[in-house]
Amino acid sequence: MFLEISGIKKHFGEGDSRVDVLKGIDLQIEKGEICVLLGPSGSGKSTLLNIIGGIDDADSGYISINGEKTADMNEKSLTKYRRKHLGYIFQMYNLIPNLNIKENIEVGAYLSDNPLDVDEILKTLGLYEHRHKLPNQLSGGQQQRCAIGRAIVKNPDILLCDEPTGALDYNTSKDILKLIEDVNKKYGNTVIMVTHNDAIKNMADRVVKLRDGVIRKNYLNDEKIAAMDLDW
Amino acid sequence: MKNPLNKRFVRELKSDFGKYIVLFVFIVAMIAIVSGFQVAGNSMIKAYEESFEKYNIEDGNFELTAKADEELISKIEENDVTIYENFYLEEETTLGTTMRIFKNREEVNRACLMSGEFPVADNEIAIDRIHANKNELEIGDTIIVSGKELKISGLVALTDYSALYQSPTDTMFDTKMFGVGVMTEEGFEIIGDDRLHFSYSWRYEERPVDDIEAKKMSDELMGSLLQCTMLENYIPAYNNQAIQFTGDDMGRDKLIFGGFLYLVVAIIAFIFAITTSNTITKESTVIGTLRASGYSKGELIRHYLAMPMLVTLIAAVVGNILGYTVMEDFAADMYYNSYCLTTYEILWNAKAFVSTTVIPLVIMFLINFLILVRKFKLSPLRFIRRDLSRKKNKKAFKLNTKISIMKRFRLRIIFQNMPNYITIVFGVLLANVIMIFGLAFPALLKNHSEKLSDNMLSQYQYILKMPSETDNESAEAFTAYSLKTLEIRGFTEQVSLFGVVDDSKYIDVDFEKNTVFISSAYSEKYDVQAGDTITLKEEFEDKEYKFKVKGVYDYSIGIAVFMAQEELNTLFGYEEGYFNGYFSNEEITDIDDELIATVITKDDMDKLSRQLMDSMGNMMGLFFVVGILMFMLIIYLLSKIVIEKNSQSISMVKILGYDNKEINKLYIVTTAIVVIASLIITMPLLDSVMAVLLEYMFFMYSGWMTYYVPMSQYVLVVVAGIASYAVIAFLQMQKVKKIPMEDALKTVE
Repeated sequence: MFLEISGIKKHFGEGDSRVDVLKGIDLQIEKGEICVLLGPSGSGKSTLLNIIGGIDDADSGYISINGEKTADMNEKSLTKYRRKHLGYIFQMYNLIPNLNIKENIEVGAYLSDNPLDVDEILKTLGLYEHRHKLPNQLSGGQQQRCAIGRAIVKNPDILLCDEPTGALDYNTSKDILKLIEDVNKKYGNTVIMVTHNDAIKNMADRVVKLRDGVIRKNYLNDEKIAAMDLDW
Repeated sequence: MKNPLNKRFVRELKSDFGKYIVLFVFIVAMIAIVSGFQVAGNSMIKAYEESFEKYNIEDGNFELTAKADEELISKIEENDVTIYENFYLEEETTLGTTMRIFKNREEVNRACLMSGEFPVADNEIAIDRIHANKNELEIGDTIIVSGKELKISGLVALTDYSALYQSPTDTMFDTKMFGVGVMTEEGFEIIGDDRLHFSYSWRYEERPVDDIEAKKMSDELMGSLLQCTMLENYIPAYNNQAIQFTGDDMGRDKLIFGGFLYLVVAIIAFIFAITTSNTITKESTVIGTLRASGYSKGELIRHYLAMPMLVTLIAAVVGNILGYTVMEDFAADMYYNSYCLTTYEILWNAKAFVSTTVIPLVIMFLINFLILVRKFKLSPLRFIRRDLSRKKNKKAFKLNTKISIMKRFRLRIIFQNMPNYITIVFGVLLANVIMIFGLAFPALLKNHSEKLSDNMLSQYQYILKMPSETDNESAEAFTAYSLKTLEIRGFTEQVSLFGVVDDSKYIDVDFEKNTVFISSAYSEKYDVQAGDTITLKEEFEDKEYKFKVKGVYDYSIGIAVFMAQEELNTLFGYEEGYFNGYFSNEEITDIDDELIATVITKDDMDKLSRQLMDSMGNMMGLFFVVGILMFMLIIYLLSKIVIEKNSQSISMVKILGYDNKEINKLYIVTTAIVVIASLIITMPLLDSVMAVLLEYMFFMYSGWMTYYVPMSQYVLVVVAGIASYAVIAFLQMQKVKKIPMEDALKTVE
């Protein structure tokens, strides 16, 4: 199994304000799968994504990628883990504001021994003409493309997407989802995408539904459709 | 209803306590130092001014070759003056110092007892407090004067010697080598009356209102005196450095400290402004919403202005309290370390209040207000959209992509934080000026002292009371005359004119008729070059002389004019062949001591550097420490702002997989580059600033000191700067390490 999530529990706060966000998550994801984590606000999907991404700790349980458990890792190893295996895409892009578009992607490329060609990615993303612009000179969709470029340039094993279309309009959202789908097809990365847009589950290989910190449904999608055919 | 936004102040204070406390402590320290010096200085100047009446300080003194009889005294007193005996003995002590001893004068120039008792027994003496201090003498100790043991009964301040000038013509006073003391009448007579100096003090019955009138009255008195007796010496009080120098010098310090405070406050105001500007960027959506909801620009400007103003106001209050208490003592000690001042009372000083409270508040208000007004010109919508850039469609300028991404990243950080880094450059310059001031001063004095040996016109310079021949082959006669410069910046000084023989062994110049050479010190100090004309005036008359300068003679330690001897003799009405001095590289032993007015050796020339080092040595250490603290404060606060401003980006690159070392390379090394570059690029500027500052300072002293700061001192400043930055960098690395990755998830871009 490529990615194994076992017995993950997580709480925030103490005493009266204690909230158990994840109450024991067990999940297995194959290499190259597109896995969509669905659920309403507060269901624990972003927390689970952050734990997979090594930017948050679990109270108990473990994450294992190709047999490497994140719980056993110290800070230095966790950094290496993120560097080697992960690419992150956020709802609000989180580009570095004082770097231009190309440089933002190069920041990702710097981390890899064998990065993809930056100019080629810029062309693929339709950003080549805008490469010298600063993020705030681009539209939300273009900024999200740049964020995708930054994530994929190091050709990570897993692409973690936290509500990647949450701040975008319908058409731009579909463009971005298609891009993620294309990247998955082209480079074979595993994609884990958090969303509360129910329609997006239709482009996934695996659908995981969370509510109140537990998995309600976990199934393989036999009726997968192309991102461009999604409708909501 | 009170503005509910005000409730944020305490929370803001708590959330950024480190920053506020550092700024607060620094403003407090600066204001305390300046207030302390101004209050102590002002109170002491006031006490000094009042001492003229309180201790009945003379209006002048003159010396006769013998004791004046009553008839002569009566004749002199017909000039509406009262004459007081002011006889003294000048003796070498076994410590190698010179002690000028008076009877304890009860009518004129009364002494102020600082500690212990006035002498009662014949073998007791009360000596000047500071001279005792410099020679580690205490009450109860014994000094040997003229072979007689004298017990120190007390420490005093003689009001006619607030600066211990042995002679009015001395370049500088010398508290270590020259002291004054008082004995009982009987004790004074036992010491010996064969070497008495028959000095008399006078006081006018109607005091002159100013120096101009004092000069007029003094000239008239001198005219009368010359009609009835021969004068050995004549020095009116307004011209007596031993009396006047202290008042003049204490005034100078205030200017330097005041200017220094304003610069520091301006830099702190910029730090506040940059911080506020960043807060506004961070809170822009909230500000936009508040503006959209009806909050006026004025209300929000007042809100963001309140914190810097409040911090400065409280700091000014605390600083002034410390200034009037702790620092006042410290400052008074420093003045007491240089001058023989009488006791004083602390006085309220309105000027100090204005310069330490009102002006810093005004500077803080203006800088922050202008920046806030500019910032709040944008529409509420722009705030809501976080579109605070003033330039529309601001493009990132291109950087060569051949440069590695890490280097480009660093360059972008520099461009992004330009206001911070520019403030760092100015802050580093200011801190370095303070640091180099502390370091350079001793080096400068050492250089001056070393130069003396090479630059003396001759090893011995004799000034004679009348022409006297010598068989010493090294001796070369010259004519000396003294004139004064015209007043520049309220300052005049004595200029030594040397009438030099043709083909002189000591002054190697070819004179031309109607032209003179000036010393290089004269040239540097008054910016006079060959071809210029200088105007000098008689010391006690209005008569002026103009001299055409033919060239500059390499003599950097004295303000002097060199001309052909015969020309000088003719100009000042001396006979042909007249002379009144000798240059000599050997001691002249065949001239009667009675006929020698003064002998100038290297040691006399060394007084200026010795006294400056003695009186300012303590302050130099203080300057260096303040400089380092200032440096660390500025760099710490501004680099902290850079880190905070970029915390989200730092968090993001952490998520991407950058380790702390790489992040430090981006954010800490960038500031390090700016700091080190600032240290290096400000060096030439620092050199110019120091030259101007020290030249301004030395201008007010008689004589001249060529500006010289060895390269090693600049290197030391750079090393001290880098070492200080290393401490700051370590703190910032800890800060970077603590930035959580969740920061990237929290806020929107």
